[in-house]
Amino acid sequence: MKNLKLASGKPGQKTIIDIDGVTIGSGLVVIAGPCSVESEEQMLAAAHAVKEAGAQMLRGGAFKPRTSPYAFQGLGLQGLKILEKAKKETGLPIVTEVIDPRDVSWIAEFADVLQIGTRNMQNFALLKEVGKSGKPVFLKRGMHSTLEEWLNCAEYILSEGNPDVILCERGIRTFEKYTRNTLDLSAVPAIQELTHLPIIIDPTHSTGRLSLIEPMSMAAVAAGCDGLMIEVHAKPEEALCDGAQSMTPAIFKHLMDRILPLHSFLADTHSTAEP
Amino acid sequence: MKLKEIRSRIDKIDRELLVMLQERMGLALRSKKFKELISDPEREKDMLAQVERMSLDLIEHSFSKQLLKVIIAESKRLQKEDRPLVAFQGEHGAYGEVAARKLVPDGAYIPCMEFMDVFRGVEEGHLDLGVVPVENSLEGAVTQVNDLLTTTKLKVIGEAKVPVRHCLLATEDTDYREIRLVYSHPQALAQCRGFLSRNKLEPRPYYDTAGAAKMLARENPKAAAAIASSLSAELYNLSIIKEKIEDGHANSTRFLLLSKHQNNTGGDKTSIIFATPHKAGRLYSVLRLFAEAHINLTRIASMPLRTEPSNYSFFLDFEGSESDKKVAEVLKKMEKLTISMKYLGTYPADRDNDA
Repeated sequence: MKNLKLASGKPGQKTIIDIDGVTIGSGLVVIAGPCSVESEEQMLAAAHAVKEAGAQMLRGGAFKPRTSPYAFQGLGLQGLKILEKAKKETGLPIVTEVIDPRDVSWIAEFADVLQIGTRNMQNFALLKEVGKSGKPVFLKRGMHSTLEEWLNCAEYILSEGNPDVILCERGIRTFEKYTRNTLDLSAVPAIQELTHLPIIIDPTHSTGRLSLIEPMSMAAVAAGCDGLMIEVHAKPEEALCDGAQSMTPAIFKHLMDRILPLHSFLADTHSTAEP
Repeated sequence: MKLKEIRSRIDKIDRELLVMLQERMGLALRSKKFKELISDPEREKDMLAQVERMSLDLIEHSFSKQLLKVIIAESKRLQKEDRPLVAFQGEHGAYGEVAARKLVPDGAYIPCMEFMDVFRGVEEGHLDLGVVPVENSLEGAVTQVNDLLTTTKLKVIGEAKVPVRHCLLATEDTDYREIRLVYSHPQALAQCRGFLSRNKLEPRPYYDTAGAAKMLARENPKAAAAIASSLSAELYNLSIIKEKIEDGHANSTRFLLLSKHQNNTGGDKTSIIFATPHKAGRLYSVLRLFAEAHINLTRIASMPLRTEPSNYSFFLDFEGSESDKKVAEVLKKMEKLTISMKYLGTYPADRDNDA
């Protein structure tokens, strides 16, 4: 791919990003939490639950990119304060989405990682702003975007002097209606050929179906991804957004009990395998 | 103006009324020092007469007199409560008041303009106690206060270490994204320099942190915020956008509690000020006494003497009480080695915020 001066991979080179003690790029990192921050009670309960199940980072949206202007837009600043409190209580680093370039510096005061959503992947002004912030960025792939377009967006961030970009595949749009998006797992090895940046998988938003999350998470780990981002809500039926695809803490724990041994097994066999 | 705006303005005025009443009650408590009896019927008659001379068409005299009578009754009730008047420098909400509330939980907190006013007020008996900052963990000694300590007759009877948690405050209707100017005391602005620069905010020096909060609440300038304590947010009804915005995390200010009378309940920490002759080894000979007696020093600071600027006063805080035998011995030996010595007091050390 042309002109990816900073994003292009060199053989053997892999970027490892440290986020307040959690390293992405070596090992498997699991990020979990509800779609949005709905209340202090809800968020703190979720934070403790995901921490107990073994997640290393907490997600939660304070600013939501809803399709409809009448849908819940997020708690904003109040949501950020709740996330900060959740971190204080559990020690889990926070990832949250930023939509407005004016919010970048403010969100950077409260959260550890800034997330660029699929619909904002090519929001170049926003990319430049998060680049300048120097904070680690989760860059979600645009639902209509090619790998080349995606990596160029990463290049935007890197060219501002911010080396901490984590790519996140969350499904692309196809003609299939049964799943919300089509999870493109081939992106994992493809990206690892093309760039040194870590890649994580979001099996929740991609499939949009609770029953498909566990098998796809297993597949993502088997494909060699650097992490997973999973939606977990204590009471999915009461969630203000994306309830149908959220896991309960119990189901999440079950998932963790399956993927962690799988990852260990693969890591062991990989290290003993001959090239 | 529609209903929402009208109600918002009414709420603002109601809050201001209460803030002014608070100020009035503070003054009433101060007046107690100058009166023999709390009740002064002649004065009450004058106050009601003054109200009668005012002509406000929506405020009828019967109503205003009734209101004033209720206020006066409450004022007299407060005066009877016998709360100690604790002076601090700054406006309500200043870190000095935070310290005062910690040191004297049941007091009446009286804001003073200058440190000098705190000292003088207590020295003259118009105020019962004073709270002053001596040093800040980032900025060092508070020069003015240390200077006043060298000449005052007051005694130190307590100390409080107050963690300084700077908060970014704004009025409720301010969109944080639009904030451009931030008002506060230059020291507070300096301590939050990183935060201000990361968010492209312009610092605007103001004489006082709580004063900046008060101004913000009263004038509500556009695109503005203030840096002050969370207590200020409470008192002036401001929203806290973010807490702990200072760059250095263990930022705390040490305050001393001053009184005309010595502390007789003892303590485990002592403060003194002394000056040595301008000869090599003199300071060392004093410090050696403490070292040999195994007395732990907690603070040493120097300041040029007012009378001869080439000579220095030394502030010394150490663990121990002047009622301890070994401390008393050291102090006695010191007298021969110093050209002046002042015992400020023995008091309980504040161990709350020790790392």
